[in-house]
Amino acid sequence: MADRVRILELQILAAKCRKNILRMVRSGGHGHIGGALSAIDIITALYFEKMHIDPLHPKMEDRDRFLLSAGHKCLAQYAVLAERGYFDKAVLDTYGNLGSVIPGHPDMHKLPGIEANTGSLGHGMAIACGMAMAAKMDGKAFHVYSVTGDGELPEGSNWEAAAAAAKFKLDNLTIFVDNNHLQISGDVTEVMNMEPIDKKFMDFGWAVRVIDGNNMEEILDALEALPFEKGKPNMILCKTIKAKGLSFGENNAAFHFWDASEELLCQAEQELDTYIKELERIG
Amino acid sequence: MIGNFVDPRKAFGSAVTELAADNQSIVVFSADSGKSSGFGDFAKKYPHRYFECGIMEQGITGMASGMATTGKIPVFCAIAPFVTARPYEMVRNDLGYMRQNVKVVGRNCGITYSDLGSTHQSLDDFGLMNLIPGMVILAPQDPVEIEEATKAMIEYQGPVYMRIGNPKIPVIFERSPFVIGKGQLLREGTDVTLISTGSTTLDAIQAAENLVKQGIAVQHIGMPTVKPLDVELVREAAGKTGKIVTVEEHYVNSGLGSLVTNAVSDMIDVVVKRLGIPEEYGKTSGDYRELVAYYHLDAAGIEESVKEFLYTV
Repeated sequence: MADRVRILELQILAAKCRKNILRMVRSGGHGHIGGALSAIDIITALYFEKMHIDPLHPKMEDRDRFLLSAGHKCLAQYAVLAERGYFDKAVLDTYGNLGSVIPGHPDMHKLPGIEANTGSLGHGMAIACGMAMAAKMDGKAFHVYSVTGDGELPEGSNWEAAAAAAKFKLDNLTIFVDNNHLQISGDVTEVMNMEPIDKKFMDFGWAVRVIDGNNMEEILDALEALPFEKGKPNMILCKTIKAKGLSFGENNAAFHFWDASEELLCQAEQELDTYIKELERIG
Repeated sequence: MIGNFVDPRKAFGSAVTELAADNQSIVVFSADSGKSSGFGDFAKKYPHRYFECGIMEQGITGMASGMATTGKIPVFCAIAPFVTARPYEMVRNDLGYMRQNVKVVGRNCGITYSDLGSTHQSLDDFGLMNLIPGMVILAPQDPVEIEEATKAMIEYQGPVYMRIGNPKIPVIFERSPFVIGKGQLLREGTDVTLISTGSTTLDAIQAAENLVKQGIAVQHIGMPTVKPLDVELVREAAGKTGKIVTVEEHYVNSGLGSLVTNAVSDMIDVVVKRLGIPEEYGKTSGDYRELVAYYHLDAAGIEESVKEFLYTV
């Protein structure tokens, strides 16, 4: 069981990262905010609690790897990398600028801490597999984590990777499915039903755990239990809320990509400030 | 001088296997295609570096990319359209955009799968790979050059696409180090320049010999690197002869001929004739050489096309 104080600390950090996301959206005027906000708790826990990384040495050979298969959620990764000290937070204010190192999809050649150029959906799981295969081959201890979106799962290339991960016994690979149930066109099960996601992965030979992906305690407990089964790749099906933390946007597909107004940005920031103060008071 | 006939896939696979003895970073991905790509020995000698993935070219391209991020040098060889057209976006993004050190090799290229039809013929692979910034494209012309090109490809840091054929081809060159980006002046002449690539070079050599006997001074350039094109050599020949004929087992559009045309597009009084496959789904024949002749890419066809070109310009 995760420590109560640490859970609070991570909840505060995740809230601060949510504020970082708003800061980028203010800079760019818009952004893929819905999925970034549903996945931010997972990514915060990884970078602040779980992964063996060093922000000052982002290319450290035996570092754990994290890549976003759902590259459009990159605001979440930028937010966490900035909070973790990979780069100056002033960079967040360049989002949307010509030549910014934090473009609308991540670029490994522009920003420290980015492991793959993702954006086109259905690529990340295979790339993550390749990294994990290399670790196995060389007897290295690093673990590879990736976040994929539930709306991304109809891409067939995911299932190629899912089969390969099982064949090569990649228990050093963990895929989080950010199961917020919404994509641009609406409910994922109506757009293209991939349910039951957990059973499909289990049938492919993965070890699966289902959690509330916006509950820090459940995230930490799942991370602590890795690998779930020796010789099996890990999938954590994260039940999440699209645009989590935006009182006016939660569970609303319209916030997959948000053309922000200053008024609503201020409101969201104020609500997060209030939430952070409340958490600090409890702590 | 024509030497022994060798299966290009064996020349390639043996070269990789030999290099792998000293280079522990080399790994091989197979899409149910390893043995047919010449990796039978590799799989036996280095089973921990050989990954049989079954038929999943998109997944393999991504996995190769991920593995390359850790310093490995993945080599992925299968039938040419299945490593280029099929996983194109993975090659573009995961290898090209990510600048990963992965070697993609398309075997049974061009119309060498003469009887299997258009799904298995690769007439657009130069064009597709050329559109990827930073991608190197190789088309070695004989078994010895395939071995040397394989060495150069492994030494080169970055994504490379190499195409090789299927039927046995003869040794035509002395062994020499392969330099990526350099063409070879095979014959000097002043009337017309032939520029050939891949297995078409053998027919082009014979065509050039026949033409010279008829009093036509042919300059012949072998071009085993399609990208980056040896623009200097092309422009020098264009300035000298004013007339260029390109030869390739590829669509006349988007291949070597198009790249050569681009390279001389600002040169006054230079005319380019491109020989290759017209824009159609390739014909089939159980006899590869019959198909080569059908598309006028055999020595007689090249000779006839060059003469026709010279009469009309």
